[in-house]
Amino acid sequence: MGKVKLATAWLDGCAGCHMSLLDMDEDLVAIAGAVEFTRSPITDIKDFPEVDVGLMEGAIGTVAHEEEARELRKKCKILIVLGDCACFGGIPSMRNRFSKEEVLRRAYIESESTKDGKIPSSPEIPPLLEQALPVSAVVKVDCFVPGCPPNARAIKYALTELLQGRIPVLPSEMMRFD
Amino acid sequence: MKEITLAINEKQVKGKEGDTVLDVCRANDIYLPTLCHLEGLTDVGACRMCVVEIEKERRPIPACTYPARDGLVVRTHTEKLEKYRRQILELLFTERNHFCFFCAASGECELQGLAYRYQMDHVRYPYTFPALPTDTLSGFLVLDHNRCILCGRCVRICSEVVGNHTLDFARRGWRTVVTADLDQPLGESSCITCGACVQACPTGALFSKVSAYRGRATEGKFVRSLCSLCSVGCDIDVLVKDNNIVRIDGADLTGFKGQLCVKGRFQQVYRENPRIVTPLIARKRGVVRPASWEEALNLVATELKAYLGRYGAGSIAGLVSSRCPNETVEAFAGFMRDNVGTSFVDTLDGSTYRTLLQGVTAFAKNGQGLEIESPLEAILEADCVLVVGADLLESHPVAGCYILRARTRNRARLLVIEPRQNDLGVRADLWLRPAEDGMETVINALTALVAGKGKRTGKPRKGISAAGAARDAGVDEALLEQAAEMLKSAQKAVVVYGEGILNKEDPKLVASLLELANLINPDGLKVTSIKPGANSRGAWESGAVSQKGLAKASPRLVYVLLSDDEVRDGDWLAQAEQAEFLVVQASYASPLTEAADLVLPSPIWAERAGTYVSLDGKVGHSQEVLEPPPGLKDDKEIIQELASRL
Repeated sequence: MGKVKLATAWLDGCAGCHMSLLDMDEDLVAIAGAVEFTRSPITDIKDFPEVDVGLMEGAIGTVAHEEEARELRKKCKILIVLGDCACFGGIPSMRNRFSKEEVLRRAYIESESTKDGKIPSSPEIPPLLEQALPVSAVVKVDCFVPGCPPNARAIKYALTELLQGRIPVLPSEMMRFD
Repeated sequence: MKEITLAINEKQVKGKEGDTVLDVCRANDIYLPTLCHLEGLTDVGACRMCVVEIEKERRPIPACTYPARDGLVVRTHTEKLEKYRRQILELLFTERNHFCFFCAASGECELQGLAYRYQMDHVRYPYTFPALPTDTLSGFLVLDHNRCILCGRCVRICSEVVGNHTLDFARRGWRTVVTADLDQPLGESSCITCGACVQACPTGALFSKVSAYRGRATEGKFVRSLCSLCSVGCDIDVLVKDNNIVRIDGADLTGFKGQLCVKGRFQQVYRENPRIVTPLIARKRGVVRPASWEEALNLVATELKAYLGRYGAGSIAGLVSSRCPNETVEAFAGFMRDNVGTSFVDTLDGSTYRTLLQGVTAFAKNGQGLEIESPLEAILEADCVLVVGADLLESHPVAGCYILRARTRNRARLLVIEPRQNDLGVRADLWLRPAEDGMETVINALTALVAGKGKRTGKPRKGISAAGAARDAGVDEALLEQAAEMLKSAQKAVVVYGEGILNKEDPKLVASLLELANLINPDGLKVTSIKPGANSRGAWESGAVSQKGLAKASPRLVYVLLSDDEVRDGDWLAQAEQAEFLVVQASYASPLTEAADLVLPSPIWAERAGTYVSLDGKVGHSQEVLEPPPGLKDDKEIIQELASRL
């Protein structure tokens, strides 16, 4: 059997889930033997090839996140989302009780450390969506691994289940929201 | 009670008449998830987690509010029900901010626990993100509406157990919020900060500022102990992590027990007062230097022997705080009597005991003492409570709350006779505020009015008129008459009295109050006196009390075992400070330790184990919760080492 192809995306999140992925210690060796990492913040490859498994960290906070999520969904057979942001919205979604305008004004103009600030308007900066959303609000998700960050054991469990041909559902004792 | 049989999950199980379906499930080890249920509180079916299918009912029904009866056929875990439960959880998560990563309750949250159980790894509904405030201005409590699931456990415990009914719901539908009084911030409300709501809260909506983020239950260990701050004697569960107190819970909190007060739950989690950690010698007053145990104990022994030799045993006095457990008090009294030979050993609150005991024996006339008093729980059965000379919500808040609970649950009437401003008076049906010296007049007038006008037996006193008494005591005549009427109509009246009577050092006053108490309760005397120290009753009954006060002893050397007690004013204080040689064994620096010639360190409540007797005679045990600071010795060990040097 050839290696399972895997791509990862880092959306509106802190990279903690990717850290947790790398935090599997010696299990990483076994996983690396069975998996080929393609596009990922870890490999710095820019485009998604066709892959078996897509891993996604972070909420959908900007149009770029939305586009990336749709792209990876299209290119992968099974989509796993990692972490509270991707599963539920998490920290990025804390802004949702305010309007997008309020959030931008607070961050770029009103913040205590800012003098003469202005809201960035360069076309290179992807605009914020009105709300930061969990990934499953935008594309179909096959497996959820919550946690902030998810425990390396939980990620390992999900990947191992997948490698054995099962769609993983995290057992209760592995569930963590913090 | 009649036994009933019903079928749950195709199995015949037994319950009692009056049980709910949830009660029967719990009694038969059938798990049902719940969020709004807390044992002892009225069930309201708010969270719907315990929904079950009952044959002949058209829809799922909450088990917590459905009365069990013979022949019911119940199913608790069908696929449909489990689907509903997960759906309910998801909806709860969408309603407010239930992101766990920065929540003080994470790891102990019941909502989180159920989400784990139901493997809620995502939520299928849009979140609502309401803009809700967080009330952080109260001294110890935080009310974060964003974490609230509106289960109402705080509302019910505040009204049904604490009896204060500060918390309730405001607004309607999905705008509903928990609120204090008329939508006031907690800190400005009638809240007495007892923290029952914090312990009852299944999520992080109500949490304690002194305990939040300092450690979780899973990271430390709970030690069952006894609160030794006052004489109510509440059982506590102390969560300890790395030799620090993380938090203090009421033991087995239910609707019947486990209540604590602001002092027991929050104020003693940590104290910032400087600890005394080594012996201190002040050879010339004002110049203090740390000393070794050896030097300090030798100095005490030398001085004791010197005074014995020069002036005899009568020149030496020992005083012990009644916050110390029986074992310490007995060791200290034994040392002073047997090893030193002095007859003067007293507790710091000895004068209270002398007044109380003389008053009680004068009233009882049959040699009975404090055993004529009732357990504090008698208050919970009362239909009328008379509080005299006590500020219970301040000094003994849990006892005060028993009265509030009797008011909420039994509609008991409350009459307070207390000159000082006090929170129980504010909540009373009738509050008589006589002048400081008018207590006796009011008590005698009430006795006369109750005995004179009613069917009650008792000798009517000649020469007492309501008008005269009211004038003399400085109270309103009409109020005095109303108070008498209230007492007369009571069937199960309970009298609680405290320092306002006992500090007058007038046993006659105690006896007159007991006569009134006797008169108003036809089923027999129901009266409880509020003792000042956590172990006053234990210390007094173990014989560590003198026949007279320190003022009459004029000793030259005074040894005070204060431990972690506060220095309260009393006739002994000036006398002790004027002694030629003053030894103080104390946990914290205070004006008394500053006046001492020699200070010995003493462990605090959490660092010692021992036996306590509560104000109503219940025996309790405290445990060593923390390791004492290095170099500290137990009070008993210090006393033994002194004894070996004499």
